Amino acid sequence: MTLSLGLAPRVARVSGQGQRWAEARTGALLSLPAALYFLVFWVVPFVSAVYLSFTSYDLAGAPEWTGLDNYRRMLEDPGFWNSARVTAVYTAGSVVPSIVLALAIAVPLSKPGRYNAFLRGLIMIPAAMPLVATSLTWSVIFAEDGLANALIGLAGAEPKPWLTDEGLALWALVIMTTWKHLGLFVIILTAGLQGLPLSVFEAAGLDGAGPVRIFFRITLPLLRRTLLFVLVIAVVGAMQSFVPAFLLTKGGPAGATEVLPLYMWATGFTFERMGYASAIAMVLLAAMLALSVAQFRVLRGGDDG
Amino acid sequence: MKVLRGTVLTLVVAVMLLPVYAMIAVSSASDASDLGGLSFDVSQLGAHVAQLFGQGGFPLYLRNSLILSLGIAVLEVILSAAAGYALAQLRFPGSRALFAVIVGTLSLSPIVVLVPMYLIVKALGWIDTFQGMIVPFMMSAFGVFLVRQFALALPRELLLSARVDGASELRIFARIGVPLLRPALLTLFLLQFLAQWDNLLWPLIVANNPGLWPLPVGLSQLQTEYDFSIGLVSTAALITAVPPLALMFLLQRYYVAGLTLGGVRK
Amino acid sequence: MTRLTRRALLRTATLATASGLLAACGSEPAATVPADGVPRGKLSVWLHQTKAYDKVFNPLLRSYMQEFGGVDITPLYVPVDKLDAKLLTAFAGDVPPDLVKIGGWTIPGHARKGRLAPIIPKAMGVADEKALVQAYDEHAIGSLSYEGKLYGVPIDYTICYLYYRKDRFAEAGLDPDKPPTTWEEVAEYSKRLTSADGKKVGLQWILGSPQWTLMQLLALVKGKGGTILSPDATKATLASDPGVEALRYYGSLGNPKLSNPLSGFGLFATGEAAMLVSGLFAMDLFPTLNPKLTFGKGFDIAPMPRWESGQPVAPAYTWGWAVAQKSKLQYTAWHFIDYLQREDVAAKQLKDASLLTPVKGWEKLPGADQKAIDIMAASAPHADFGPQTPVWNEMAKALTDAGDAVAFGKKTPEQAAADFDQAMRIAL
Repeated sequence: MTLSLGLAPRVARVSGQGQRWAEARTGALLSLPAALYFLVFWVVPFVSAVYLSFTSYDLAGAPEWTGLDNYRRMLEDPGFWNSARVTAVYTAGSVVPSIVLALAIAVPLSKPGRYNAFLRGLIMIPAAMPLVATSLTWSVIFAEDGLANALIGLAGAEPKPWLTDEGLALWALVIMTTWKHLGLFVIILTAGLQGLPLSVFEAAGLDGAGPVRIFFRITLPLLRRTLLFVLVIAVVGAMQSFVPAFLLTKGGPAGATEVLPLYMWATGFTFERMGYASAIAMVLLAAMLALSVAQFRVLRGGDDG
Repeated sequence: MKVLRGTVLTLVVAVMLLPVYAMIAVSSASDASDLGGLSFDVSQLGAHVAQLFGQGGFPLYLRNSLILSLGIAVLEVILSAAAGYALAQLRFPGSRALFAVIVGTLSLSPIVVLVPMYLIVKALGWIDTFQGMIVPFMMSAFGVFLVRQFALALPRELLLSARVDGASELRIFARIGVPLLRPALLTLFLLQFLAQWDNLLWPLIVANNPGLWPLPVGLSQLQTEYDFSIGLVSTAALITAVPPLALMFLLQRYYVAGLTLGGVRK
Repeated sequence: MTRLTRRALLRTATLATASGLLAACGSEPAATVPADGVPRGKLSVWLHQTKAYDKVFNPLLRSYMQEFGGVDITPLYVPVDKLDAKLLTAFAGDVPPDLVKIGGWTIPGHARKGRLAPIIPKAMGVADEKALVQAYDEHAIGSLSYEGKLYGVPIDYTICYLYYRKDRFAEAGLDPDKPPTTWEEVAEYSKRLTSADGKKVGLQWILGSPQWTLMQLLALVKGKGGTILSPDATKATLASDPGVEALRYYGSLGNPKLSNPLSGFGLFATGEAAMLVSGLFAMDLFPTLNPKLTFGKGFDIAPMPRWESGQPVAPAYTWGWAVAQKSKLQYTAWHFIDYLQREDVAAKQLKDASLLTPVKGWEKLPGADQKAIDIMAASAPHADFGPQTPVWNEMAKALTDAGDAVAFGKKTPEQAAADFDQAMRIAL
């Protein structure tokens, strides 16, 4: 009675018109709050920022349209190029080691076992430490008589002026941020690794493939989706990194750690050239978008099952 | 082989935790002279803690941080779960565009967005309020991205069979999607909590009433211009690390056990 | 304070009516002078916090609120390195605090952008601006005006001193009671005070700080007869003989690789640096950092050195209280500020916090280390606040880049000076 009446239209819902309609309706409903939020708090400010990049706005009065002036100014601004270079080095220098290290740790650490679980818990601790606390700790560690010099002293090396040597300061920053993010990457990669189908590994093992071969030929490709996520997050995070540099070195000895966000901050809030700062942000945005798109393409972890 | 692996891993973790220990040691320093050592003076540490809670305004900052971080984390999880699942499993017009926009905002620098966002919040009348500090950050591209990636791996068979059984899409989301995504959601909760716990700039700029200030702002207060006791500041920093760490250990089961989604594949 | 003459009263009455009318027109929050002269309202004050000033400021707040019951004041202490950002966003959003304590060097810039309100003489108990200016040290207050109007009153004024460690001098065989008086001597002494491995030095510059780089280089460049910016501040003139020589000297002293969380100050406190350029506040700071360092025994002060054949230059700076243009309580704000600047307060501040309010006759304020005041008084005629320009921040940053580049050996002085001029060409 009701059963047949009730079921009939619903069964048709598994595919076809009804299904598409139901999906669309629920999908739209579920994503509406997100859409609204991003519209108000990100898209609108973004459009403002784009607009501001073509103006001269000194945080007083109204912005004044200046066309491409800001972009032209960037070309001959040594501060911008220095920051761009620092950011590039910093990004490459922190992303590559963190991901490689994270993979190296995650693969053995993702094996089941209580001890491994225990270690995984511990490894997240740096990631949970608040940034202000972290920067303070590391500024002490990198001090003349701090832990860093004590450790390299054990290896027989001379104590180094980590934070005041313009060659070293950026690497000190890289060490600090890598330390902080490693745990997070390991956990995410572990999650990805533990989701991989055991059957494939068993089969490969039976075929006689060695662990290295398995890793490169099977694990990595299967891990694509997770790797993509970690990579994008790492790159974007590095290129946007502001607070660590701000707290640890404030742009470092002679601009050695003046990453682009820090330069933008100074331009916008210290020099009160918000228009120019916005233009720089646009350039950074373009760079990050390009990189993200490239990553999505290469790893194709977006949509396939 | 297994033992070797275990030892190496243990060493790696130990080295990673050295800075944390260093911080504890520094917190018990009484002045700038004995920072180098790794020694540890419990009574001094205790004195610092007492000082902070007595006159530092710390309990207030702590409370504010809890309100902000918990509030944001909860909202984040709910809204990202919905959006992430929808983007992964439901086809609807504009889903591609929405996802592109969301991931695009990852690349937008918070610094230049700061002033426009401030003006929007001001227009809403939310300056100097908790909602002014919470709502602009109640979602993140990271959250939606994370959920979507994990939602993509939800076992199709389960969803399909639920549809065949006649469940509505909403029901499928709530009864199947969310439970399966729970580890990811809890991880997201933790991560957002951590991220917001650290948020220094926005609360500083939006709140003019120090009664609303969260810990990071309070902490940078301690580092007044040229004179600060590093032991005291370090202790303060340590205290700010306690709640996130506690939360982390509490939720450990979920991400340590692995964010696997259902046992279908295995 | 001063007795108002009838004319002044009449003038203020007209002002009051005029501003009352303006306020009624509803165009802008007017600087309404209440007819009864009594301050009212809830004032918001922003300032950065230092332990020293806290001791003085809080009691003042309380006593003011007691005396003027209609006023409620909420101070907000903002971390100093974030004060700019917070203030600027507030200005941009038209919700600034009523009054704020900011670097005097930023006041002309803010005034130029219409963010600040000029002083209200009546609130400060004087007939007009001129009378107020006369109540202060002319140099200090002069730096706080823009286009002929006064936008702030100075507080925490200091001239730079040369601090030196008597113990390090004695160790190196130098007479602790005979500090160097010329830059040439400073270089000589530094040679003897520098250890072979460079871990201990003579004079250490405070690097990386726009404020201090300006002070330090100002002394060097001006001392040689040059200028950092042209007198009309339309272009940079660092790439000239005096500028380049100054940079060369700057790069030849100190060890930039020495590190300390408190930069040069910390290095002086630990003794790694035997000499340091700093302000009055450091008198209190060093004993706090290192309890074994006492004034007169561990360290001492001397006037800023000069070039042998050059002019004496005493770099100076001051902080200032300013009121926001958008404030609806301008009268009350200035009234409160005036309260903070009273002579007895100035004396207490100096004694308790080594903070100098440069009221006229500050040289005779009791309570400070007399030597410090004497030196400051003697140097006062040569006080120099540096180039006044609306792009002060950019100039100071570019100067810091130049100085640091030379100090770290990344650029030659000629190159650094040229780059500075180029950067200023874009900025000015």
